[in-house]
Amino acid sequence: MIAGLSWRRRIADRVTARLVGLGGGAIIGAITLIFFYLLWVAAPIFRSADLRELGVSPLPLDSIIAVGTNDTVESLYAIDADGSISFVDPDTGALQRSEQLTPYPLAAARLVFPTSDTYALVGADGTATFVRVWFRRRFDGDIGYLESHVDHLFGGDSLRLGGMPARAADDHPATDQGSRFDFYLDESVLRIAALDPEGRIRLWQFERVDDTLSFPRSEDLIPRTRVDRIDFGPRGRWLFAVDIEGAVTLHDIADLDAAARTWSGRLVPDGAELLVMEPLLGRYSMMAADGNGLLTQWILRAGPHGTTLVPARSFEFDAPVTALVTEPRRKGMMVLDGQGAMHLVHTTSERHLASLPTGLTQPSAGVFSPRSDRIFLAMPDGDLHRYAVMNHHPEISWSALWEKVWYEGYPEPVHSWQSSSADNDFEPKFSFSPLLFGTLKAAFFAMLFATPVAVMGAVYTGYFMAPSMRRWVKPGIEIMAAMPTVILGFLAGLWFAPLVEQNLAAVLSLFVAVPVCMLVFAWMWHLLPVRMTEPFDGWFAAISIPVLVVSAWGVFALDAEFERLFFGGDAQAWFLATLGLDYDQRNALVVGTAMGMAVIPVIFAISEDAIHAVPRHLTTGSLALGATRWQTLTRVVILTASPGIFSALMIGLGRAVGETMIVLMATGNTPLMDFNIFQGMRTFAANIAVELPESEVDSSHYRLLFLAALVLFLITFFINTCAELVRQRLRTRYGSL
Amino acid sequence: MPSDTTTDSRPVPQTLPADAPKEGWWRSGTPWIWLNAMAVGVGVSAVAGLLGLIAVRGLAHFWPADVAVMGLADGSIVMGELVDVEYTDPASFEQAGGQDAGPIERWLVKTGNRRVNGPDFRWVLAANVADTRFPSDVAVFERTEWGNAYGRISALYENGVLVANGNHAWNEMQSRLERVVELREEMTATQSTTIDPVNYRLERLRIERRRHVLEGTPEAPGLAAEERRLHATYREAETRLRTLADAMRRDAVEIVIMDGRTLVQPLGDVMRVWQPNSMSVYDKLLHYMKSLGVFLTGEPREANTEGGIFPAIFGTVMMVLLMAVIVAPLGVVAAVYLREYARQGLPVRLIRIAVNNLAGVPSIVYGVFGLGFFVYLVGGTIDDVFYPEAQPAPTFGTPGLIWASLTLALLTVPVVIVSTEEGLTRIPRSIREGSLALGATKAETLFRLVLPVASPSILTGIILAAARAAGEVAPLMLVGVVKLAPALPVDAIPPFIHLERKFMHLGFHIYDVGFQSPNVEAARPLVYATALLLILIVIALNLAAIMLRTRLESRHEIAEA
Repeated sequence: MIAGLSWRRRIADRVTARLVGLGGGAIIGAITLIFFYLLWVAAPIFRSADLRELGVSPLPLDSIIAVGTNDTVESLYAIDADGSISFVDPDTGALQRSEQLTPYPLAAARLVFPTSDTYALVGADGTATFVRVWFRRRFDGDIGYLESHVDHLFGGDSLRLGGMPARAADDHPATDQGSRFDFYLDESVLRIAALDPEGRIRLWQFERVDDTLSFPRSEDLIPRTRVDRIDFGPRGRWLFAVDIEGAVTLHDIADLDAAARTWSGRLVPDGAELLVMEPLLGRYSMMAADGNGLLTQWILRAGPHGTTLVPARSFEFDAPVTALVTEPRRKGMMVLDGQGAMHLVHTTSERHLASLPTGLTQPSAGVFSPRSDRIFLAMPDGDLHRYAVMNHHPEISWSALWEKVWYEGYPEPVHSWQSSSADNDFEPKFSFSPLLFGTLKAAFFAMLFATPVAVMGAVYTGYFMAPSMRRWVKPGIEIMAAMPTVILGFLAGLWFAPLVEQNLAAVLSLFVAVPVCMLVFAWMWHLLPVRMTEPFDGWFAAISIPVLVVSAWGVFALDAEFERLFFGGDAQAWFLATLGLDYDQRNALVVGTAMGMAVIPVIFAISEDAIHAVPRHLTTGSLALGATRWQTLTRVVILTASPGIFSALMIGLGRAVGETMIVLMATGNTPLMDFNIFQGMRTFAANIAVELPESEVDSSHYRLLFLAALVLFLITFFINTCAELVRQRLRTRYGSL
Repeated sequence: MPSDTTTDSRPVPQTLPADAPKEGWWRSGTPWIWLNAMAVGVGVSAVAGLLGLIAVRGLAHFWPADVAVMGLADGSIVMGELVDVEYTDPASFEQAGGQDAGPIERWLVKTGNRRVNGPDFRWVLAANVADTRFPSDVAVFERTEWGNAYGRISALYENGVLVANGNHAWNEMQSRLERVVELREEMTATQSTTIDPVNYRLERLRIERRRHVLEGTPEAPGLAAEERRLHATYREAETRLRTLADAMRRDAVEIVIMDGRTLVQPLGDVMRVWQPNSMSVYDKLLHYMKSLGVFLTGEPREANTEGGIFPAIFGTVMMVLLMAVIVAPLGVVAAVYLREYARQGLPVRLIRIAVNNLAGVPSIVYGVFGLGFFVYLVGGTIDDVFYPEAQPAPTFGTPGLIWASLTLALLTVPVVIVSTEEGLTRIPRSIREGSLALGATKAETLFRLVLPVASPSILTGIILAAARAAGEVAPLMLVGVVKLAPALPVDAIPPFIHLERKFMHLGFHIYDVGFQSPNVEAARPLVYATALLLILIVIALNLAAIMLRTRLESRHEIAEA
């Protein structure tokens, strides 16, 4: 019986040990999991792209002038110079169906800006018709079929754009036949630009009503130099005219009647040749490559002397760029160089993401699939080369996260966080700098307010306060540490911020006037006979409260007086005029105070413990040697407790850095880089709280927010580890005392 | 705190030694002592001030304030509750005539009748008010839509036919209002006992059918019949609801509002009516308690700016309970491992530092982790494996109660570990050794001796964790809280507890109503009241933990002695 029991007991003992070991290990594992999971999600943004050749399929077509695919790359279409469109299986090249689009052979098929599915088909005699290619998924039960459609726009009407000049430049990669025209289409107008044989630029504008075009207006621009290629700029309101030598002129054609040349310059260095030129998505910038392998991004910049093109950044390749295909939804591109190497680059991040030797230099047409996961290059011999692209996060690089980046539409490089924009033409702006700045700014002002109050309070409570009072004060302030920050944030945003705005002079005066009143009171207290004041030793804190309340009330009552006295009647206007400080209602002063309130209990509790734990024989020894209380405090107590106080400050800082709700509610959450105390900020934590719920899973934005969380994790982990190490050293030191 | 029982022969005298020269006051450092004392004063008065502010503003809201009728200098009349008095600088308020006559007094008046008057609130310059009266017959209507209405009742109609007017209308209205309240209760009951379960059941049926299609198995024979039956029940309940709604529209009161216009108010939209100016203090107190009750047990109305916060209270409690159930075993096992089983050395010291650090990791980071790991990875996998038929609508792969609780459990597990470890450290070695010497195994020592002795510390840790969890908002915004949950996570529909549902939370309610609401001014008192409730919960939990710790410490001292 006993033997059986002991066997059972032994098993139970073993099982418990195993389970506890396993459980304990699992908890520790789960905790480290946080770090590794965040890292795992965030890491792919720094991974290079993967570029792989899928194969070559011969297409049953003679001379392809444009290719495209549907969203999911199940069907690829090729427009042939004979005026037909063929839909083929992108994997095998097998013909799905084909359709004749025009009765005339085509000189060019140009994608109508800014669409991605509408083509202008231009015949050799300058006749143009417009078609839109689209796909639809049909469901038969649970099985889906992809249908391809081609619509003729404007009732199938064709326009005559005039004769086509024949020139040697036609074989040049930057200027094929299609580059002699450009088309812009939005809801209300169709704009066409064409070069005529005399070298003039002809502009047409049609009003678009339903599906018909009417009220054509035309205008001729007579360029001073030769023009080989024309492109519309953003929203069809600009026109770039380029020759193959690299000279460019920029025309403002927002109003057709007042079209004017605003700027001319060169896209490539003097003496160099312009090999390839392509506008980027949205056409706020132009990519131009010279014969030396230098590819430069030119950004349209509105300056004091009108709008100009300025070089923003360059990429260098070993051999001259011979072809360039831009991505349909991003600011990236594929580049072919003269040695047949294919490169993937992205402008915003300035990253060279991948390279692949292909042996191809001059495709007759090339395209990215809409999701940028495939590249198709049609060669003049009718072969279709297929490439797979894994390039999910080209827009992010370590330098773009922290350094200034020159974005399209900006006059100069800036730090900016703007994760989404109203218009897809603009790139998202992912710079961590303003967020880090905001985080540190909020923490700085919080600590500025919290440190003196908490540490001085801890000094008094730990060293001077009567024990019977300390018994109440300490837990009271500790409970404050548990105060939900959402409440502090709510009070800060809805009660304190308007209060500060209306009584700015008073609030600022508080920081000076109240301590001064306190000192005056202390002086008068000191004049009282010792007999009267002695029983109140250790109760100064309680006595100070009515003084505080009265002096604060007095300051607020005198707000208008202070404002007139110090700030000329209007504090906010005074700050703007004298110091150039703008005023926001929800600003760093409000956040600093509110977050200070959240941090004070933490700092107070830990540093009070440290001060209270200073061994008694040290203080009595000091006093016995004739030092005053204050000398003992500053030279002995604080010195001994300083590691503890430091550790308290670090933990408080860690809390201020990661605090979310207060910042979210008490600032405007604008990602500014301005140390002005009267302006708001956006912190990492608040940014995550605002943006993560809206973020698309696994997008660059989503992963960046995980990276932000990781950065926050590391910052606080570092701060807390410092504090912990200091505290452990402190403990050993006290052990020796 | 009892912790100073050991070292106290303080305080140190702060006045100067008698022989110190008086002019040395400044150099002696005494002013600094006063400034230090002031810092404590700042802390204490800030805490007290904030709590007082929240309490006063939160509790005052439910008091039925008198309705003032103010005749303005320009002959117009403003009727409403005086909400706030403000003194504005003339400099920032030019229309006062421009002359520098000191601060201008202006009153914020809640005039209600949003539908006809525009905003609920308006500012009135005190100087413009010619006379203020409090007529006893002014009534306040609390309505289901459009906020409060203020006015005099002039007539009562039934199906458009005049039933009573003047004073009779007020008396006649009371019984009819009771009828409306009963009808409304019946509507709510029909909705929750019939329509909601039927809807739920129908959705389950749809999903079950889809599963049969996906798996290629034949449909169970009863499905179609049950669906027909459910549809029939639904139609029946819908008819019932329509009848009730018609019945509620029967009566209407005519109100004369402040500018003399009359307004016909269907009684069906009225929750309560009172005449504050003729109420005694006792009546008001009764009304106050009733309002408080409605606030605590009612559903929110009008984009959460009115009505009660019961779903938020319920959601918070559910989430905290679930979290406590998860965090308790995790934290205790980890602490036992660290203190009782692991070999003490550098690794354990490092782990302990890590655990301490984790308590300092910002809560939003846990929220990010919870969203990515629990919701999308774990939840998404559960959906793929167990609920393919419900796709693409996520079941567990979306923020919900269970994920919020898990996330907060992870967030608070260091609190429990630290507290439990503290308790385990306090247990003298001799007790453990005695047990082992008597032949008990390590496991038996643990379960029969160590854990029971340490239980107050464990409980303290769990309570502190609960207090922390109750006040956290930032991570919850990512992993499961919504501004308005369509259903509570616990209801009468099997399986009764719906862990995957989204829920409401007091803290998020404060954020949402205070900052995202279309009518912040009207909602503000409710936010203060909600904040007060949340603070009380958190403070109560903390006090419980402190008291427990105190008792534990005294017990420990007895054990030592």
